[in-house]
Amino acid sequence: MLVLSRKIGEDVKIGNSVTVTVLSYDRGVVRLGIQAPKEVAVHRKEIYDKIAELNKIAAKSQLTKLKDALNSNHLIFNANEVNLAIPKNNGSKSNY
Amino acid sequence: MDSQKVKIILQTNQFGNLEVEEDSIYFFPNGVLGFEDYKNYVLISEEGTAPFKWLISIDEPSIGFPILSPFYLDSEYNIGKNIDLDNNVLFVIITLQDQNGNMSANLKAPLIFNIKQMTGEQLILPFEKYLTNYIITRESKE
Repeated sequence: MLVLSRKIGEDVKIGNSVTVTVLSYDRGVVRLGIQAPKEVAVHRKEIYDKIAELNKIAAKSQLTKLKDALNSNHLIFNANEVNLAIPKNNGSKSNY
Repeated sequence: MDSQKVKIILQTNQFGNLEVEEDSIYFFPNGVLGFEDYKNYVLISEEGTAPFKWLISIDEPSIGFPILSPFYLDSEYNIGKNIDLDNNVLFVIITLQDQNGNMSANLKAPLIFNIKQMTGEQLILPFEKYLTNYIITRESKE
């Protein structure tokens, strides 16, 4: 980890396009201002970690488990009740 | 003469072999959180599991996220900025079973698909009202 000391109002530049400014410090809380282009994602790390963790769990989802859940009828919504615009179904399953 | 559409065959464990047309592949420039290197995905429906859909990674077909339109869970779902609903579609990623056995939806970090440009990204909404683990199963009363 690169460690830099900054006074309030001073900046850190990361790469070509990200600038972090130390805005204020008060009672243990540092406020940071971050300038970055919109294609660069900026998040509090704990939120990022939580969502990445959920994604990792979801990525291993078992189809059979979903089928069981639908058959158990324990979902809070009725699949038939909502009529939505959904994207075209592009993947077609073919059995080889 | 019809032009040949470029198709690829994705071999998946759970969904068999999927025939995917190249122009049905969504490009996620930042992947999804935790999977930033996986940028190419296809959206499929699997028989018997509507209204859920699956987002399958082209790069690693063993990766498949169950997803659902958030409007089944909250008809007022709002990401906080105006999106063109003719060209953009929202989905949320589903955890089929959390540690308590509940199915939950990540309303805080939806996926937004631009069906005109065939791109997608995962957003993190800055609103506390949307949970990462919104429970979508009822307890059965026995």
